[in-house]
Amino acid sequence: MTATSVTPTSAPRTRVNRLVLYTVLVVITGLFLGPFGWLVLSGLKTPAELAASPVHWLPAHVQWHNFADAFDLIDFLGYARNSLIIALIYATLVTLSSAWVGFGFARLSAPGKKTLFGILLGSMMLPQMITLLPTYLIFAKLGMVDTYWPWVLWGLSSAPYLVFLFRQFFAGLPRELEEAAIVDGCGYGTIFWRIFLPQSWPVLSASFVIAFTWTWGDYIAPQLLLSTDRTTLAVAVMSTYVTSAGTPVTNLQAAASVMYVVPILLIFLIAQRGFVAGMSTTGLK
Amino acid sequence: MTVDQMSSVTRPSGSAQVAGRVWPRRRSSVAARRHRAFYMFASPWIAGFALLTVAPMSYALWLSFTTYDGISPNWHYVGLGNYRELFSDAQTWDSLGRTGLFAITSVPLSIVAGLVLAVLVNRPIRARGLFRTLLYLPAVVPPVGAGIAFKQLFDQNSGAANGVLNLFGIDALGWLADPYARYVLIMTVLWTAGNIMIISLAGLQDIPREVLEAARIDGASAWRSFRSITLPLLSPVLLFQTVTGVIASVQTIMPLLLAPDPTPAGITALPQSNYLYMMHVFAQYFAFGRYGYASALLWVLFVLILVATGLIFKSTSGVVFYNVDPEAKK
Repeated sequence: MTATSVTPTSAPRTRVNRLVLYTVLVVITGLFLGPFGWLVLSGLKTPAELAASPVHWLPAHVQWHNFADAFDLIDFLGYARNSLIIALIYATLVTLSSAWVGFGFARLSAPGKKTLFGILLGSMMLPQMITLLPTYLIFAKLGMVDTYWPWVLWGLSSAPYLVFLFRQFFAGLPRELEEAAIVDGCGYGTIFWRIFLPQSWPVLSASFVIAFTWTWGDYIAPQLLLSTDRTTLAVAVMSTYVTSAGTPVTNLQAAASVMYVVPILLIFLIAQRGFVAGMSTTGLK
Repeated sequence: MTVDQMSSVTRPSGSAQVAGRVWPRRRSSVAARRHRAFYMFASPWIAGFALLTVAPMSYALWLSFTTYDGISPNWHYVGLGNYRELFSDAQTWDSLGRTGLFAITSVPLSIVAGLVLAVLVNRPIRARGLFRTLLYLPAVVPPVGAGIAFKQLFDQNSGAANGVLNLFGIDALGWLADPYARYVLIMTVLWTAGNIMIISLAGLQDIPREVLEAARIDGASAWRSFRSITLPLLSPVLLFQTVTGVIASVQTIMPLLLAPDPTPAGITALPQSNYLYMMHVFAQYFAFGRYGYASALLWVLFVLILVATGLIFKSTSGVVFYNVDPEAKK
């Protein structure tokens, strides 16, 4: 499969191959972008066009005001603010705590470390949905429903995936980094804060972006834990675009979900490198 | 099970303190300091794991032996009653079967799709960075966005899918209802194959060029060298993808996001073909408030996942090829 590009003997065949390859790639890419493109189109149509059958491929008049209306039908900015607060709280805390724990697993040793690391890796495969439901019951008992405390606690307790990411990074740094500091009598806390953390901007930002997008995208935890006023944009976009009679307003919902998704796409495009590097480090183990 | 996990979490920290005290102070003060420091650094995760994973799971285990519903004050212990009911509940078996079918179809399909995409965008072509980005983009779209997009795409009246069918003179299908909803669900998984593409791509790029060169000089066809060199070297990545894929498909909430009423209470209105096991759990929790019974369902699922993961690792241990021992790195 990788052979064709280098063989100089069959130039015409290579050109045909190339053409086929580009066509296949363009078609597949089109299919992959299709659902999102259709969402944008749906957000620009009138309710009548969306109810009509057979389908209206393009809006007769582009309804730009749908995006403004989507802002007004629900308290879009309020929900966006809730999403932002929760995502910032969680991403900041979980990045710091995971870096802290990752440092321990990368640079220190103690009896029982191997077992703990095994549990950590194993817990990466633990289905989150299974633990979430009983956790929800416990949070309800503790009166933490409809507060942001659950995200603080989740943030403080670090995430195995990110711990692993930091562990891989810290394990790759040279030994001399801490040796001089130890001779000077610095504690490991100081070594972590003063020497290792300032070195790890690429991983810190990757971790922050990953955690931020998790929280921004999470539907089920805010759906269970937060009331309709304090909930996140994900929940609001999914379930509050209805008329007072209860019929869904699909064109405004489509417009709203575009506005909900685009910030994440932009963050990804800006932070692409770290994001992908992080994914492949942990994916490969 | 949970008791074991708990003790294995707490025991090492205890033994470390003991070790620090027993050893001669001078010689090992540095080592003891390192041990204490390790537990200081690991403590957020240990505490979080104990309080936010082990404790809820233990709580669920306890609830699974009761009739607790969160409201009624006179709930009581029923022993294995919930588990007995679970085994005779037709919905449990049906939803479990659907979940298995969903995992068995969607996981291999998306891995093959991701692998094919990775091979395509690994070729030396123009704008391949752009192709990679665009193909990966859907994997970044949050599930809620994906759910709404697919609901629009497969809407009976205004969906593009039926629009295309109409061009070929085929009648509109009720994609989001039985029996087609399951295919839409699988398509939502395939849509995020860019995830697998990126990880496989990293694996492809780790394959030494010389090995593939040598194979070509020896006259191996492209397909042969893919099968005999690329695939074995990628097998750890593919195994990892299989395991995470199975776990993701067991806990997916996409059926809910594709439903007309996407709140946990609306679960009972789900099309049967998307009523997966996790949805059954949600229905018992939130539509019927049967926390005890739902907890029993959760625990059965948990054990099944452990068994399935174990089986996947066991059955592939002879097939998966590790180039480097992952533990040797440190």
